[in-house]
Parts: sequence; C-alpha cells; structure tokens
Amino acid sequence: MAQTNPPFLTGVPELLVLRMLSGREMYGYEIVKAMRLVTGEAIGFGEGVIYPVLHALEEGGALKARRKSVNGRERVYYAVTTKGKRRLEHLSDEWKRVSSGVNSALNGANGSPEHA
Amino acid sequence: MRDEQFESLRLELLGSGVNPAYVERTILELGEHYADLESAALETGLGADEAARVALASLGNQRAIAAAVLSRPELLTFRTRHPRVAQYLHSAATIGTLPGLPLMFCIEHRPELTRWGAAISVAAALMGGVLAGLNWLIVVPF
Repeated sequence: MAQTNPPFLTGVPELLVLRMLSGREMYGYEIVKAMRLVTGEAIGFGEGVIYPVLHALEEGGALKARRKSVNGRERVYYAVTTKGKRRLEHLSDEWKRVSSGVNSALNGANGSPEHA
Repeated sequence: MRDEQFESLRLELLGSGVNPAYVERTILELGEHYADLESAALETGLGADEAARVALASLGNQRAIAAAVLSRPELLTFRTRHPRVAQYLHSAATIGTLPGLPLMFCIEHRPELTRWGAAISVAAALMGGVLAGLNWLIVVPF
C-alpha cells in the first residue's frame, strides 16, 4: 500500500538537527556549522530559522535544553532524548525510503516516463 | 544593541500569540548567534561594519524567521491555537465562579459581616424584648 510521507516535505530540518545532535549536545550556532560541514553546504538557509526547529523538537519531547554560561556568554545547549532517538530512526528510515524512490525514478529503473 | 536589533521581531512574535517563553529564548539565541557570526566575520579580516552586515545576512531576514516560528503551531499559546476552546473555557470558568461569588464576598469581608451580624442580632434581641414587653403589658390584666 502506498504510504503518505509528510516528512519528505517537512521533516528534513528535524532529521538533520537530530542527526547533528545524536553525537553530543550543541548550541544553535554549533549545529548550523556542523550541518554546513557535513552537507558540504548543499543546503542553504537563513541560520536564524534553526531556532523554531529546535524549539518545536523540544516542545515535542525529542530534545531537551539547558542553559549554560560559557565565558560570559549564555548558551542554550540541546541534547537528544530517548524519544528523539526514536524519531531520528523513524525519519531516517522515511528519508531512505523516499530518496530511494526518487533515485529510482531519476535513474530510470522502471523505464523512462517518455516510454511509459 | 543586539536586543534592539531583534525588538521588532520580539514584538511581532508576542503579538502573533507565540508562547512568551519561546519568544524570549529565540531573541536570546539569535543575539548570541549574531555575536558568533560577527566574531567569525571579524576573524576573516573584515571591518566592523562589513562584519555586522555579513552576520545579519547569514542570520537571515527577520520576517523569514518570524514566519518560521509562526509555522510551528506547538510554539503558539493555547489561546492562539484553540481560540474557540479557550473562549469556551474562559466563559465556563466565569459562569462557574458566579455561584461562589457571594461566598467569596463573605470570606473577604468576614470582620465587617461579623460586626453587622452582631449588630443585627443585638437589634433583633432588643426589638424582641420591647415587643415581648408590650405584649405582656397588653395581655396581662391588671
């Protein structure tokens, strides 16, 4: 049966944030830097939009936040919760399934559309 | 300086019904993020003005940030997310407290009510005594 996949459209920022934080806790600026590094700057966005993503994940219980003063700067560090790890697994599986489908279409595994 | 930069964003988010706790967090984090971007730009040898411009550009348009926050219903207050339910609950709470208002009034004005009750009791006793006396004068034959 065909599955609907809303994460295909809306889950990519969540997937990347959870993946970045799966190794260690980080604050917003660090997350964006890590994201740019691992994606080879393939994804461009205004860096400020990371915060609504982080806050929404925290509100949903996937992340927990704690404030920490570092060298006179107030940092908000985020870490993945158990629920967040499950969500990361789910989003990763979903992304693999969708990207595999898109790759198949691009590679013409089922025949090119012109000949369909 | 940084707080002033994001003041219009703060007001827009609060006015749009975003949970105030998240608004304050967002402003704090944007301010820190801006400082990090500015420092990184200065380290590359840019002048102060150019570094500030680059930092703001990297952070993104404030309208886009506001739109990103407002697209997350979980960050909005309950009243903004469910205005009808909130209005119903508010009305129900108001109506629910109506029967309790006299009781709350009595508790709040207990000393005055005690004095008033005592005065009424004394007046009733006096009046009762007077009436009983008159009744005795009328009924008892001399």
